[in-house]
Amino acid sequence: MDTFVQILVSGLTLGAMYALSTIALSLVWGSLNMLNMAQGALLTIGGYISFAAITYLGFPLFLGLVTAAGTGVLLGLAMYFGIIRFMFEKDGFETNVIIATIGLAMMMENIVLKAFGAYPFQQPFAVDGGFRLLDVHIPYQNLVIIGVSVGMMVATAWLLGHTRLGRAIRATAQSREAALLNGVPVRRIFAQVLALSGLLAAVSGVMLSSITTLAPTMGYDPLLKAFIICVIAGLGNVAGALYAAFLLGMFEAGVQYFLGVRFGFPALLLLVIIALIWRPYGVFNRRKVARL
Amino acid sequence: MRRKSDGKGTETTARRPLENESRRRFIKGATVAAAGGVAATGTLLADINGGAKAAGKPIPIGGGVPLTGWAATDGIEFKRALELASEEINAMGGILGQPVEPVFEDTKEQGAANIIPAMQRLIDRHEVHAIINGYNTGAVTAEYDTIADAGIIYIHHNTDIVHHQTVGDNPERYSTIFMGDPAEYWYGPGLLQFLNDLDANGLYKRPNNKIAIVTGSQNYSVVIANAIRDSAAKYGWDVSLYETVVIPISEWGPTLAKLRSDPPAVIAVTHWVPQDLAQFMLQFAPTPTNSLIYMQYGPSLAAFREIGKAATDGVLYSTVIGSLQDKIGQDFSDRYRAKFGDSSTPAVGAQVYDSAHYYAIAAALAGGTGGPGEFDQNAKIAARLRRQIHRGVVGTTKFSIPEQAAIPYPDATNDPSLGMPHQYLQIQDWQTEPALVAPSPYQTKQFKMPPWIKA
Repeated sequence: MDTFVQILVSGLTLGAMYALSTIALSLVWGSLNMLNMAQGALLTIGGYISFAAITYLGFPLFLGLVTAAGTGVLLGLAMYFGIIRFMFEKDGFETNVIIATIGLAMMMENIVLKAFGAYPFQQPFAVDGGFRLLDVHIPYQNLVIIGVSVGMMVATAWLLGHTRLGRAIRATAQSREAALLNGVPVRRIFAQVLALSGLLAAVSGVMLSSITTLAPTMGYDPLLKAFIICVIAGLGNVAGALYAAFLLGMFEAGVQYFLGVRFGFPALLLLVIIALIWRPYGVFNRRKVARL
Repeated sequence: MRRKSDGKGTETTARRPLENESRRRFIKGATVAAAGGVAATGTLLADINGGAKAAGKPIPIGGGVPLTGWAATDGIEFKRALELASEEINAMGGILGQPVEPVFEDTKEQGAANIIPAMQRLIDRHEVHAIINGYNTGAVTAEYDTIADAGIIYIHHNTDIVHHQTVGDNPERYSTIFMGDPAEYWYGPGLLQFLNDLDANGLYKRPNNKIAIVTGSQNYSVVIANAIRDSAAKYGWDVSLYETVVIPISEWGPTLAKLRSDPPAVIAVTHWVPQDLAQFMLQFAPTPTNSLIYMQYGPSLAAFREIGKAATDGVLYSTVIGSLQDKIGQDFSDRYRAKFGDSSTPAVGAQVYDSAHYYAIAAALAGGTGGPGEFDQNAKIAARLRRQIHRGVVGTTKFSIPEQAAIPYPDATNDPSLGMPHQYLQIQDWQTEPALVAPSPYQTKQFKMPPWIKA
């Protein structure tokens, strides 16, 4: 029974980490058809900004999180005004933006490296302690990241489905030209989505680093896992990504225990292959339905 | 009882080589020889130089080290160490009156694609007479041909068993290439012998003969894990778990569930990333098993203790190269920190520092350095290095022949004056520096039972 509880807790924790990694990527991919390779670097910067604000500036924990979120918004806007607005109306945007954001990611990672060094730090935004369920210790911090990941996913889904901004984003996602013809300010929508994704990525980075550690390369692994989840859930399916993240987390934890830890990641890749063959539009997407 | 070895893995048992009295004598002798500061070599080099002042055209000495990328923290220490050693060498008259000048090329994220061009630039652009590095990973001796074609001296600390095969199989081609530390392989049998010594000396009574091995997926970790696994039976241990984790890893739940379901006497984690290892300890501590925990490399970095805090108390780790905690090592650390600040890490820089010093002595004794293409002169220096025994801040450096790799003590020799100490350290209080608990005669503190182990 202890073993079952341990696997359940590990699976939920992994699922929450994957959900946090995925949310901003899924939003941008779904609404702007833009594969943001700088997503991992945005997570990293969010984590470091929180660390710097709390450790060096003496901010309270919550204000550290707010500072990171604000920085994420600014970075998202900077990405739009500095790069994306020059590209998104031109042919080949979907391909060109991949190259551009890879370059951006490298630049951001090296800025972090120069500013903080390669030395790993502990994220101060963390809740100490835990409780026992049977003989399994469950840290409070794990519950925090599970709650935050679900909360952010639900809030994003609500924003997309029940607000004026969400309608405009969905219209842009379905057809940029049609949205423009109907008076949707597509340029502003791009900027707003990137600002929102910057906020989500920064907060996710703070949460992720609270149970991993801060390091300049901490964004690589979440970015990779986010791709897997987006492919399985269906590109740009935000709600589906939430389900997929937790299902895959549970699946991976089970594989790690019963088959060996080294088989966890290959098993995820195998699922991607099966998903691409069986439902290439995503497990949670209906055929020929627009993104989001 | 301690293992006696011929350096090729053939072991017999022998009496522990040094008791306390001889330990004190050994340390005292070494300290006197070191003249209280720049290791004995300093005096020797100054004597060879005959009072000459370093002047004239500098001799370029290269460092192809990771100044950016994931290993930049260590790479910066390698750079600092070569700069400090060069200053000291020049203060003693350089090499036969010629000053040395360190030059650097960045190996970035390492791997053959970065390392080979960096070496090539050092040779072609800077015309270095020697390359003295800390570690680079991922090239797996691919850079050796670049060096061999130029014929210059190359001393690195890649801790890689592949060096033994490459140089051992073709000693003439790679005659100027040396590995300044023992191969990672020695971590395996060395650990098992250390555990048996604890048992034999009554410091730890193992509840069973089970050892669980948890390794990362990188070559370094796998070689060590396999060395432990393959040697376990010979030392009386049964491998109860051999688990490979994919890195990075922060969620250790499934692995810990397996360990808890069949608790071993020892858990050996050969994955080395400090933050991942700290997470292991944080997740192990609330529900521990009666097991000693040994971890590879990561605990040597302060980050491990800063992240894991009190959960890291009791953890054992070892290093085949690092500055000792004796007077020679401490004086070096003080000089290093005085120059580079308290946040610098002399334990990491020590390897390059020692190598630069013994290279300078060997070159001075051989009649001077040799640049690219000066094969005969570099052959004389290499021959001198093969014969040389150097007592520096990391202990003794003596190269095995034909592999040209530092011999580890007590793993491959039971004479501390002929081998580099394979140091075992234990975190006894996470807020202070780890204690050196083996090998004799260098140990400074006794092993302490980890707080989670119930008698």
